[in-house]
Amino acid sequence: MEPLLKVENLRIELKTRAGVAPVIDDLSFELGHGESISFVGESGCGKSMTALAIMGLLPEGIGRVASGRILFDGEDLTVVSDRRLRDIRGNEISMIFQEPMTSLNPVYTVGEQIAEVLRAHQNLGQKAAWAMATELLDAVRIPNPGRRINDYPFQMSGGQRQRVMIAIALACKPKILIADEPTTALDVTVQAQIFDLLRDLRRQTGTSIIMITHDMGAVAEMAERMIVMYAGRKAEEGPVADIIAHARHPYTRGLISCVPHIVANLTDAREELTEIPGIVPGLGEFGQDRCLFSARCPQVTDKCRKARPETAIFGGRQASACWHAEEV
Amino acid sequence: MSQLLDVRNLSVRFPVGRKGAGWGQVSYLTAVDDISFTVRKGETLAIVGESGSGKTTAALAIAQLVGGETSGRVMLDGQDIMPANRDQLRAMRRRVQVIFQDPYSSLNPRKRAEEIVREPLDNLTDKPAAEKQEIVDRLFEAVGLRPEQKRLFPHQFSGGQRQRIGIARALSTQPDVIICDEPVSALDVAVQAQILNLLRRLQSEFGLTYVFISHDLGVVQHMCDSVAVMYMGKIVEHTDRLSLFNNPLHPYTTALLSAVPSVDPTLRDQSRRILIPGDPPDPLNLPAGCRFVSRCPVAQTRCRELAPELTGNGTDHRTACHLVDANLVSPMQSVREAGL
Repeated sequence: MEPLLKVENLRIELKTRAGVAPVIDDLSFELGHGESISFVGESGCGKSMTALAIMGLLPEGIGRVASGRILFDGEDLTVVSDRRLRDIRGNEISMIFQEPMTSLNPVYTVGEQIAEVLRAHQNLGQKAAWAMATELLDAVRIPNPGRRINDYPFQMSGGQRQRVMIAIALACKPKILIADEPTTALDVTVQAQIFDLLRDLRRQTGTSIIMITHDMGAVAEMAERMIVMYAGRKAEEGPVADIIAHARHPYTRGLISCVPHIVANLTDAREELTEIPGIVPGLGEFGQDRCLFSARCPQVTDKCRKARPETAIFGGRQASACWHAEEV
Repeated sequence: MSQLLDVRNLSVRFPVGRKGAGWGQVSYLTAVDDISFTVRKGETLAIVGESGSGKTTAALAIAQLVGGETSGRVMLDGQDIMPANRDQLRAMRRRVQVIFQDPYSSLNPRKRAEEIVREPLDNLTDKPAAEKQEIVDRLFEAVGLRPEQKRLFPHQFSGGQRQRIGIARALSTQPDVIICDEPVSALDVAVQAQILNLLRRLQSEFGLTYVFISHDLGVVQHMCDSVAVMYMGKIVEHTDRLSLFNNPLHPYTTALLSAVPSVDPTLRDQSRRILIPGDPPDPLNLPAGCRFVSRCPVAQTRCRELAPELTGNGTDHRTACHLVDANLVSPMQSVREAGL
């Protein structure tokens, strides 16, 4: 079957003071019906840019799709009219953002904000939209939805606001839900509730989910496949379980081992955390013909500094952009 | 080893204006409610809890950095360090320093890196200029910054480097206790590891004692020697690292640990997630009994009526829960077994 979303050789350029930099450099991936994938990487690696490009929300006048295609159900989103894009946004593809505090309008009740989406996209009347909004609040497990629908965002907790955002995003039963770090601003117990909710909703509605995160634990809980991004390029792609069991890119390996994970039977032994030295390169270095991770890589050789790595495929499913992927 | 820091009956409350209160009436929000804990020299006490649990307020109250009304005693090496006047405050600040959460807003943007690191020396000590310079040079090396970076301004550094400057500043007066207020939560995952390793290296090098505040249990597990779990201003569980993570007793701790997403598939399967519903109660209108009662999966009638004391039943594993007995069996055991 044709994948729901197919991104081909996408290149996004961003205008900076120093010139034009490719924030996304030759990115291709697919998303199937009902599938859940995750983008992982540090900040400044192009995860959010990918999401914004799919939504057609690249910063106007600064960012543009330089080449490549984004095929949604066979339709290329990089060339469609603004009107059509507005139609798709919210209706077929919708997004929840990191900050539930700032992405809701503080002067409207949450009910009005959910109903607005329904009126705009589904041509529902005032009454029907309101009734549907109450149902949605119930679906995202906000207790007493009939009363809470009249609340303003400031009257809700962070977790509840994120639930309202999910209700808005799911109001039109989109085919794809993009979640950009949906739980980083929330406590772990609330994060667990939100993940649980997203998993249930996905099972009920069959929505495909693209989740952007830097937390490998969250990826392992939520996604089937992951794409590790580094400096605008795809470093590694494959099934989550395979990558966690055996990462084929030194960056992925570093990302997994640099975080102290909760372990089952804790002992007195405490090893030093594996560091990834240095930081993500600045935009000025993006797009160079070499491995951009080479400056931080423990396994670097001359070859890495001279040419951009080709993609090595393992078992037909796992792909790594590293010259030494075989040895990793 | 001896107890270096001994905090007894610490409370912090903030006066708040509130609808319904009459003229001249002030109601109080008790952010930290009568907590006591001790930290041994050279060790790390981690205070964990969700946002709003009072963990930051409690730790900053030790350094006299909160605006609210503080009561209780803070003993450092057997000496009461709750200052009565300016000189005592200066003396206390030399011994207790803080590393802040946000490396972007905690450094003065108009000062050069070396001035920032030297500032506590200027304000709190009477050392001659040459000695101060020598200390600054040594600290730059100790935290992994290059000597030529001393003349730069904060905006010329990355987040991780700025946190290194913040750490150097906290070390400058050779304090006994350093309060680390979420020192890595604003940093990227790869940079987190660098800072955590640095903090541990400095601890063994200088024999530092940390009070480490974090909401990230993975980080806590890696850093701490003992842990205090806070919920709504109270310590609900206080014990050493191994007991807490291998045998969490309080239902809240159990739920908190099970909520952490894990990359380890076997761990994910065996520790079924215990979801605690809802949000914490309103801090201005706390329930009469145990504060966790509204979200607790095993709550009983007496939990609603009587607030539990933090007690260890003769052991060092102290818990504030009616349902934990002397055998140190978690009341959540039955829930976990029923779920499997």
